[in-house]
Amino acid sequence: MPLRELGVILLVLVVIFVFGQLWFHFVETLLRWLKKLFVRHKEPSKWHPLPVEQEENSDV
Amino acid sequence: MGFFSKLFKGPEIDMEKSNANAKKMRTLFNQVVEKGDSYQLIFGYTEDVSRFNYGFVHGSKTKIGNLIVGWNESSQTIVVVPTVPDLSGCGDPTYYRRSEILKAYRNKYPTDAFIIYPDKRSYIGINAYDWLEDESLYVYVSQEKELAAFTDFFMNRFATK
Repeated sequence: MPLRELGVILLVLVVIFVFGQLWFHFVETLLRWLKKLFVRHKEPSKWHPLPVEQEENSDV
Repeated sequence: MGFFSKLFKGPEIDMEKSNANAKKMRTLFNQVVEKGDSYQLIFGYTEDVSRFNYGFVHGSKTKIGNLIVGWNESSQTIVVVPTVPDLSGCGDPTYYRRSEILKAYRNKYPTDAFIIYPDKRSYIGINAYDWLEDESLYVYVSQEKELAAFTDFFMNRFATK
């Protein structure tokens, strides 16, 4: 198979892959927007951050 | 020789990092659970796999939730606290008391997760392993002995027949 044909096939595969990625993210974003619009905002559960360790007092 | 023996040994656990994380897990757990010291701890995670089909693009998405799992032998209670891989914080605890749950058993397929049904409508599947290398997804902690103790507790004293 000539090198040019191989290059064309590879290019087509790359285009399909990129389009698939774009389509996936487009639909995901659309679904997220729709969810935001129609689903009532739920109160996020309480979050407890890790307490900052008290530095040992090494001053004399 | 030295290079190859190291290569075939596989990844080595950074015990300093693991111990530091075990300490953080304890601090977070004790912060939100009353008498937290009476519970033994392991790290576990939940896995939520959903399939999608967006026309010609289809596949599956996996969501992983990190958990600090505590268990108390005498009260036969498991407490689950949601957290994040870097242990920068945690959520509110959920208590699963053996006397109050609907059923509990260990799954066989597709994973050997610990399954608890608090009621008919909901369930939690806790996956736990000795050590998981991927720090971006899981808490970096080595817990061979702890996992063995938890498995023994779950199978012999918590699971419903």
